[in-house]
Amino acid sequence: MTDAAVPVTQSAVETFTASYLRSLGCQIEIQGDEWQLTIPENVETDLPKGKHALLCGSVEEPDETYEQLHPESSFFQSVLDDATDRAPIGGISIDTSDTDVIVPDWLQQSEISVSNIEFTPYYDRSALVVLFRVTVETVSEYQQEFLRSIAIDVRSTEILPNIDETFLTLLQESATIQSGDIAIEPEQVERLVDASREPLLSAIQPQIDEIHQEASRAADAELEEYRQLQQQREDECETEITRLRSKIEDLSELIDHKNQTERVEALKERRECKSKLEEIETDLNELRRRREHGYPDQQREIRDRHGLEVVVTPVTITEVEYERGDVEFELNDGSSIASLVLGYGTGVGVTEEVNCDICNRSLSAENPLRYISNRIRCTSCNGE
Amino acid sequence: MSDFDLVDIEVTHEPVDDVLYADPSETSENHRHTVQAVRLQAGQPDSELRSLKQLDENSVKMLEHQVDAAYRALFEMDGKALLADEVGLGKTIEVGMILKEMHFRETNDSVLILTPAQLAKQWQAELREKFGLEFVCNYDDEFSGFDDHDYIIASIDTAKSERYRQTVLRRDWDVLVLDEAHYVKNEETDRYELIDNLSYNYAFFLTATPIQNELTDLYNIVSLLRPGLFGTRDVFHQYFINSDQETLVNRNELQDRLNKVMIRNRREDTDVDFTERRVDTRKFDPSPAERELYQAVSDYVKGAYSQDQGQKLVLMLLQKEVVSSPEALETTIRKRLDDQSELTHAEELESILDLINNIDAVTKQERLLDIVEEARENVEKGRVIVFTQFRATQRRVAERLLSEGYTVHSFNGSHSSQEKEDIIENFEEQGGILVSTDAMSEGRNAQFCNILVNWDLPWNPMRVEQRIGRIHRIGQKRQVYVFNMALTDTVEEYVLERLFHKIDLFQQSVGELSEILTRLEESGKSFEDEIFERLVNADSEVDLENDFDAMAVDLQEQRDLAEKLEEFNSGVFEGFDLGASDD
Repeated sequence: MTDAAVPVTQSAVETFTASYLRSLGCQIEIQGDEWQLTIPENVETDLPKGKHALLCGSVEEPDETYEQLHPESSFFQSVLDDATDRAPIGGISIDTSDTDVIVPDWLQQSEISVSNIEFTPYYDRSALVVLFRVTVETVSEYQQEFLRSIAIDVRSTEILPNIDETFLTLLQESATIQSGDIAIEPEQVERLVDASREPLLSAIQPQIDEIHQEASRAADAELEEYRQLQQQREDECETEITRLRSKIEDLSELIDHKNQTERVEALKERRECKSKLEEIETDLNELRRRREHGYPDQQREIRDRHGLEVVVTPVTITEVEYERGDVEFELNDGSSIASLVLGYGTGVGVTEEVNCDICNRSLSAENPLRYISNRIRCTSCNGE
Repeated sequence: MSDFDLVDIEVTHEPVDDVLYADPSETSENHRHTVQAVRLQAGQPDSELRSLKQLDENSVKMLEHQVDAAYRALFEMDGKALLADEVGLGKTIEVGMILKEMHFRETNDSVLILTPAQLAKQWQAELREKFGLEFVCNYDDEFSGFDDHDYIIASIDTAKSERYRQTVLRRDWDVLVLDEAHYVKNEETDRYELIDNLSYNYAFFLTATPIQNELTDLYNIVSLLRPGLFGTRDVFHQYFINSDQETLVNRNELQDRLNKVMIRNRREDTDVDFTERRVDTRKFDPSPAERELYQAVSDYVKGAYSQDQGQKLVLMLLQKEVVSSPEALETTIRKRLDDQSELTHAEELESILDLINNIDAVTKQERLLDIVEEARENVEKGRVIVFTQFRATQRRVAERLLSEGYTVHSFNGSHSSQEKEDIIENFEEQGGILVSTDAMSEGRNAQFCNILVNWDLPWNPMRVEQRIGRIHRIGQKRQVYVFNMALTDTVEEYVLERLFHKIDLFQQSVGELSEILTRLEESGKSFEDEIFERLVNADSEVDLENDFDAMAVDLQEQRDLAEKLEEFNSGVFEGFDLGASDD
């Protein structure tokens, strides 16, 4: 699993734009920061046809005759949009000439030196490298986007390490990459893509967890604010009830002592106060009832609103043909030489686990190879 | 820390159809381009401060910690940051860089900068002169409301006032800058409510002391910027503050959270290093004629103010001019005589004119020659800057120095931008004396010179510091000498001796002064008004002295408070590494 996003530097912008537009059949004349671009009528693209004068990475505001070309410029964004839809499926072959043999961690971390490496390919296998866009959205955070690559073996459906990274590296170089049809049936591609979704999500789980925690905290803070607001409303109702009760008492006293006209007025006013009192008491009871129940509706509404929406979208699929065979490492610890033959895939690395001959623990970056004389021994059982 | 329920997560898996059934007729190269385009689309935009190339190095010297802070605020904090550098490290410059970059990237269609009233004009000048950013200030004549301009600097109290509040809140601002953010720490105030209700996309809060009284101040300020970052108030209290309310606990987690929103540079971690500043106040007895004139003007000012307080500004001006030069005073007196409303005081004014005519020699003028002569002998190219508040004084001083055979350059607000640059350039090349008004005290720098004379003294210490800041700044390699010239028993002596020196104002940085003055302003007083009121209301010399002493005590208190807060915040954040995060 590899983070496939690349930094959008000015030079990346210029290299990509020139390479892509030329591949479509456009002409570009470059004079310093100024490009004269011609997009012929017959080129199939959504970019506007005709002549364009582009100004690269300029910090000055250009006059109207120029369009800007820099990471945020609208022209560059249109170029990217045009390119992303064009050929999302394709294939590449990785053979020994393309890559160096990948030395396993347990050997890289070891003090034993490797004096020779020889790979013997026996047969071809293929894997799918899928680039997934994962977006995570919640109201309290900016939408976060991840682009991750994952490689899955077509036959065994096992998730392969390294090969997606090898593919992404080769992409920058001159390896032959073909677009369009691949040899695998669409239904099988679909099954393979589906099989790679869960491992992909597991790999970015820590990032999702972090956003999840933050969103949950934000929801909690909002709920707390709501609780306080409701409490404040309860307090206000209580104050108003006290005021109305006292007013009703005062009016009742007045009613006993006033003449008829005034009494009628006071009666009327007392009736209004009573009705208002009743209304507020009902409100207060409702507020109290909701508090006792813990504001379930509001809780639901707030938590729903802060909920995380994770969308996983496969954006490109590449069939990567690679070679499987044996790799032989010739090892040297200064006093003795040993040879180790292991299963290997180009771009994938060593495909089998190697265990210590003494303790049977598997070798790893944390437990590298320690001795090679007669038997393979790991660092952990060195002292045993 | 999990005192909260987790919200739901909904995962949607989009089908693969769009990819699978794309047009298969594309050429071989295009799959490479599609994958690369997808990678570039997901990549972070070019994260460098590209606008910095546009800045003029003579106008603003950017320091590494400032560039880092601007970068982090923009790119690592998604444009919502609390800039909490210690005092004097240039938080305003950091915001200037941020705004310049946003302007370059066209993400700043509307910007609202809220500051304490005292600092609004200074913000405006700095952004204009250092970053070429034009803002309208609510004190400008052209200001016609918060919905009429897109780039506004306003005092926070104006923005929250009944008159403007609704207009401010109705807008969706792209960028909000809040200076001295600790003044909105209290969630029960109108200021807090205003910020809480403002609608904005990006926000930058500035304060050297995010914590004023208690640690929950930090919660309040941070929650305005990033609601929910600390969870509820109760959780923050329980989890991050120990029971004595004075220390923070669970510091690592707090630091992780704060790292997402707060940047705090400490002086010891930066390369800010100022040379020593020596202040020499020279007091001279005025001649009898000068003394008589001073007395007459002071009596007039006192009398006129007791009759009509509406003339305060012009009376204040006279009181300042009388200790500057007879020429400066004469212009204003003649204007007042021409003014019909002054008929009642015509006789008094005429007699002042007489007294002006009686003055043959200006004491300060003669004494200035001592200083410049000393400089001519001891300093490279004899460079000295003489500051005065008034152009009439400037003319007189320049003429006299010329007549004595000195190379003289004059700088004031009437020069065009190009002329101003030429003057500074000539001063650097030819040496001699630059006689300048306060038009130079903002923006133009002359760290190649290390001697400054305050011919007369602005009453506002911030203005004094701005003058000194022209030469005592990053890049100055020598000791800086500041000479203050004052006539004894005049307002100048009171301001200098009883106020500025007593609390060591000449050694304070702009940042420190702004802390002190803003605190003073909190109590609703302006520094200049304070001085003037004391001057005109004192019944006797003794009264006056006592009044100025009382003001000094007040200032000292504000200074002590500001220092204590700074220390307290340093203590609280001690051990926090709020620099760039490791990831």
